[in-house]
Amino acid sequence: MISPTYIPLILRQIVRRPARTLLTVGGIATAMFLFIAVQSMQQGVALATQQSAGDNTLVVYREDRYCPFTSKLPEHYLPRISAIAGVKSAVPIKVIVNNCRASLDVVTFRGVPSDSLGDQLSASVVVLEGSIEDWRKRSDSAILGETLAKRRGLRTGDRFDAAGVVSYVAGIVRSDQPQDQNVAYVHLDFLQQTVDRKLGIVTQFNVKVDDASQLESVAAAIDAEFRFAEQPTSTRPEKAFVAQAAADMIDLIGFAKYLGIGCLAAVLALVGNAILLSVQDRIREHAILQTLGYGGMLIGRLIVAEGLFIAFIGGAAGTFAALAVIEWGQYSFSIDGLSIPIQASASLIATGLLIATGLGIAAGLVPAWQASRRTIADCFRAV
Amino acid sequence: MIRPLIDLDLDVEAGAFLALMGPSGSGKTTLLNLIAGIDQPTHGTLTIDGQNIGALSRSKLAAWRSGHIGYVFQLYNLVPVLTAYENIELPLLLHKLSRKERHRRVSASLEQVGLADRHDHYPRQLSGGQEQRVAIARAIVTQPKIIVADEPTGDLDKPSALAIMQLLQALNRDMKQTLIMVTHDPKTAEFADLTLHLDKGRLAEATVLA
Repeated sequence: MISPTYIPLILRQIVRRPARTLLTVGGIATAMFLFIAVQSMQQGVALATQQSAGDNTLVVYREDRYCPFTSKLPEHYLPRISAIAGVKSAVPIKVIVNNCRASLDVVTFRGVPSDSLGDQLSASVVVLEGSIEDWRKRSDSAILGETLAKRRGLRTGDRFDAAGVVSYVAGIVRSDQPQDQNVAYVHLDFLQQTVDRKLGIVTQFNVKVDDASQLESVAAAIDAEFRFAEQPTSTRPEKAFVAQAAADMIDLIGFAKYLGIGCLAAVLALVGNAILLSVQDRIREHAILQTLGYGGMLIGRLIVAEGLFIAFIGGAAGTFAALAVIEWGQYSFSIDGLSIPIQASASLIATGLLIATGLGIAAGLVPAWQASRRTIADCFRAV
Repeated sequence: MIRPLIDLDLDVEAGAFLALMGPSGSGKTTLLNLIAGIDQPTHGTLTIDGQNIGALSRSKLAAWRSGHIGYVFQLYNLVPVLTAYENIELPLLLHKLSRKERHRRVSASLEQVGLADRHDHYPRQLSGGQEQRVAIARAIVTQPKIIVADEPTGDLDKPSALAIMQLLQALNRDMKQTLIMVTHDPKTAEFADLTLHLDKGRLAEATVLA
């Protein structure tokens, strides 16, 4: 597009007009920050709710109940669920959250039987600190997801208190599954006794099936098994369960995509306005360049390249600032004990940079075209 | 329809120093801009160094200017955000030259105009006379065949104007480049070998310096 010989010239134009550059870059960075933040929410929703081929977990919940405080199932359902054809394993889970409302800082406790934690954690889980063995040794111990541990600043050996549950951090794990990232796994009987003062009641069963293709048929078989029981069940694939349980919040996040589109429009308008004003300010300069032998097309390309650089710098600043905030804050939306992480992936960063660059080029096209068509005499007459 | 130049027939020898004089609106700047390839004639031919530049497209004319013309403006017209060195380097960016060669040529031009120690100064940090010297260095750095100057001393005090004219005269004498200058000032025109007087777009008279 443009010879590298001219790049120092373009950069001098950008660096040596600091007020214009800083204002424009600041505006673009702010818009791109918002865009990346919104897209990170969207990406978190996709990660938490979109079924992938390898997902083989079902959630058995109390029928017509939608939050962990009201879903109460007898723990003795476990052998009947385990006996259903296609079920690989089933884990009774009690879920307690410290905050019933939608929040960025919800602590979710999942009580699981001591011998079932391995089944419950996804295969991709990596133990970062401590160990599962340490967790088994203490009745009040907890294994924390990395996101929760970072957000609360917790390390192995610490004690922490949330929702009236005081537990000891026996380990910290990293997982690619959103529901493992923002959770504290504790012993089921410990949680039941701490919260309910009695054993035998759980919130849900997490069931792994032999083959992902059997999810629907096994879910139907489980619900049929308990259709006439005192506590009938509603069974869905885990991600469909998240999508249904957090539907309102997902709708809100879905609406936020319009904010993202608005941010991109703001970037386009900002760069376009900055370049247009800059071209109008520099009509004499373009006449000088033409007199020296710079062709109209070359001047047009210099203008487009300047827009591209400014948009890229602003885009990169906003994108990496958003990434830093997301990484530092380890935020996730939680509702009814389910987590929707706010995550910025490498592809999102690349997309952000590409979009900023593309908008920079697009914004420079019209001013560049106008400048390239102007004759030297027109330029000098205009000033 | 306004015809700024009428039936003008003019031959300029290579290496000459020509002054164009005349009242405002006489067509001298129009003639200068035609010679510099900034404007194009609507009638007739304009042949420079064997090439009819009136027939060139806009892009080819720009390329021709970069190789053949050095332009000195009355108001210097330096790019304000570039240093003296960078302003002088501007026309060289259009030529396939290494950075080292560009540096050599810019340094040599700065030496020629006596501003080697001001290479890193911005235009706002220079006096009018110094700015014009930078503009002259920018005009000669590509070693063009023709230097055109539009009222090069019009915005300068007398000592600075004298120094600029002595510089232009020396460059014309030493480098054998054709120098065509528009001026209102007879004292300035005295530096030229030949002065042409224009009136209402026509050549009125010629004065040859003895």
